[in-house]
Amino acid sequence: MASTTSSPPPAQPAPPQRQHAAAALPARRVGWLTPRRWSSTPQLLGLAIVALVLASVGWGVVGAWTAGQHASAAADVVHVKEPLSFEAQRLYQSLSDADVTATTAFLSGPQEPLAMRQHYEADIAQAGAYLSDLTAAASPGDSQLRSSLAAVATGLPVYTGYVKQAQSDYVLGYQLTGGSFMQVASEQMHLTLLPAARSIYSRTNASLAARSAQATGAPWIAITLVFSVALWILLYRSQRWLSKRTQRTFNFGLLASSIALTVTAIWLVVAFAVTRSDLGSAETRGSTPAQALAQATIAVQQARGDEILNLISRSGSTSFQGDFAAEQRQAGPGPGSFLSTAAAASPDNSAARSIAAAEADARSWYATSTQVFNLDVAANYAAETSRVIGTGPGSAAAGFTRLESDLADAISADQAVFSSDAAAGANALSGLEVAFIVAGVLMASAAAWGLSQRLSEYQ
Amino acid sequence: MASYSRLLPALAGIALAGVLAGCATAAPPPGQSLAGTAAQTPPRLPSGPGSAPLKLTETGSTLLYPLLTSWASAYHQQYGQVTITTAATGSGAGIKAASAGTAAIGASDAFLSSGNLVSHPSLLNIPLAISAQQVNYNVPGLGPGTHIRLTGAVLAAMYSGSITSWKDRAIAALNPGVPLPNVKVVPMHRAESSGDTFLFTSYLATGAPGWNSVFGYGTTVAWPHLSSALAAHGNTGMVAGCKVTPGCVAYVGISYLSDALSAHLGEAELANASGHFELPTPATMSAAAASLVSVLPPNETMSMINGPAADGYPIVNYEYAIVSSRQPSAAKARDLQAFLHWATTAGNAASFLNQVRFQPLPAAVVTLADSQIASIR
Repeated sequence: MASTTSSPPPAQPAPPQRQHAAAALPARRVGWLTPRRWSSTPQLLGLAIVALVLASVGWGVVGAWTAGQHASAAADVVHVKEPLSFEAQRLYQSLSDADVTATTAFLSGPQEPLAMRQHYEADIAQAGAYLSDLTAAASPGDSQLRSSLAAVATGLPVYTGYVKQAQSDYVLGYQLTGGSFMQVASEQMHLTLLPAARSIYSRTNASLAARSAQATGAPWIAITLVFSVALWILLYRSQRWLSKRTQRTFNFGLLASSIALTVTAIWLVVAFAVTRSDLGSAETRGSTPAQALAQATIAVQQARGDEILNLISRSGSTSFQGDFAAEQRQAGPGPGSFLSTAAAASPDNSAARSIAAAEADARSWYATSTQVFNLDVAANYAAETSRVIGTGPGSAAAGFTRLESDLADAISADQAVFSSDAAAGANALSGLEVAFIVAGVLMASAAAWGLSQRLSEYQ
Repeated sequence: MASYSRLLPALAGIALAGVLAGCATAAPPPGQSLAGTAAQTPPRLPSGPGSAPLKLTETGSTLLYPLLTSWASAYHQQYGQVTITTAATGSGAGIKAASAGTAAIGASDAFLSSGNLVSHPSLLNIPLAISAQQVNYNVPGLGPGTHIRLTGAVLAAMYSGSITSWKDRAIAALNPGVPLPNVKVVPMHRAESSGDTFLFTSYLATGAPGWNSVFGYGTTVAWPHLSSALAAHGNTGMVAGCKVTPGCVAYVGISYLSDALSAHLGEAELANASGHFELPTPATMSAAAASLVSVLPPNETMSMINGPAADGYPIVNYEYAIVSSRQPSAAKARDLQAFLHWATTAGNAASFLNQVRFQPLPAAVVTLADSQIASIR
């Protein structure tokens, strides 16, 4: 773009010179711009108007589409995918918690405590609601997700049926038959429902990651920027050409187009950088620790289930104790455990404090559970039962409840971080789509106006 | 849960979700036969083993060992290409062998716990026959054909030491007209972890809440410390120990009934949940199992202790073959399917079961077993 500020008087039109100059060009170099058709400045001006208008409008369309795609993906991450991922995680937790609650209630006797019954019913109702939402949102093409959803949909009534049968038998006085059904229910949960729920969680998380990648992916941004640079060069060359032909330093229409192009392109770059940074931060500071905590919650729920089922089955097998130890190692704290991963990824906020509390409460609960399993080995079932389902401060039930509460608090805090950062990232793209459309129209209009002024001087 | 009315909307939603998902007929994977529905069509099972020679190994329950040995012999006579080796190593060893794949069949007096099944989801519990456990005693001075009547509560009192004499009023009240001697009660229990102990203490727990809250039930329990109590290894040890101990009361597997009677031990009539006193006869054992067939889950794991049958014997159980649904070869899977199906049908003939006083499986149980057997691959 010309940088001089002088504004010489308009040069005299010199159509004959332009005709002569054009005619002097070899036909083979001009190509389809044959001397006969495009040999005059007005004709070239007309061609420039058409080219710049089309390029500006095209640039506006591509830019608006790119901004719209990224804004849509970012909004989708915040408003659709992340909530679905959260629901999938809650579906798993509701199912696992329902199993723990049902088995605990069974151990409490034939007339289970009202609070436990309500807790169980709430878990099942929540699982049903999450399942409906996830099914309604499932992509028809994701057969694995739909298969897993169907497995839960068909398996959950079977599970609740077994639990009902177990409790009915117990109420009728057939405690051991009821205990068998409670074990069968738990097997249904662990062998069918939870693996399917885990698959659902995995698929929705993959979908979330894919959509987030679309929001922060560079290809269309790069294409738009290349288009911007090309258009900027075209405007600059047009200005130079016009300056030489018309003896004017500036064409204000082309200058306005160039400014609009530059401002909008810079806006795009900044907004994209902010979105990429914020969504990345949402993932690393919010989603990653929240997922680790969700996995830790699942592990401790399964460990709690082992503790309870061991008491119900009284098989003399150490398999429950072995499973408990395996879940304990997975949940943590300890190197490579979910709790340690979450602690490392969580920012120094309320989540970190809750994770620290969870680590302390986990250690305490594991110590109590060790005593519980020792009581089982000693066949001291009365003391074991008291430790497992008692409500005193030293009971396994109390320790597990504290740990579960810590984990829920930490997950909430990390999810709040995710929502905040992701929303900021999505907001950074706000208005950009409209800006491209307006800029495209403005640039086309300004270029057409600016060149039309010169063209009119030939008429 | 006692009330499920509030769950109905949720379950309706779940059903709707199933329809929306479009896969409502999704079949459970092999080895996970807990879909809540038995096979809608008869499973396809091989009519017999393949023509190639094959060896199958069985190990586990000592109670099942005689039956499996006679089955192995008969099966080999019918299908010479199949050789089945059997071993009496105990139920726990049988389960471990089946889990590890070192034996094709692990024989067990009890079904697998949830922990085992979750740890080894490919394992199946295939019921083979109905068994029972009798209570024997050595009470001098009773006439032939006399059966002392006992309840779970009275037995719990005898094993916990609150009933010390056979002439106790609680026993006498159950046995009017029986000349009970004033002989000290000597409760005998198994010294080692045992499925029989699980069955017996389960009966005590269902009949005596006090026993359940203090000692409970299991393959091992913390028996009350009584100076009079005795411990013995295995059913053979229980019979032999009781034979030489006046006042003894002991729990013994039904297969050892002949041994117990030969040792001149008495056989108790036990009270069932309806208050009726029963001996472990073919009729009472079958009645006890039949009352629970309709609610037997697809994986066929269920305790039948003190069940609802009015004329049923209270301590009955299924004997199980623990097998993996994942076999190393299609040929082995086919031959294992063929043998297990044979065992639950032809092998359930009286000529086999009468030797060990087991009872045949009800037809519905065989159908469920076939569904499980069909999942072996």
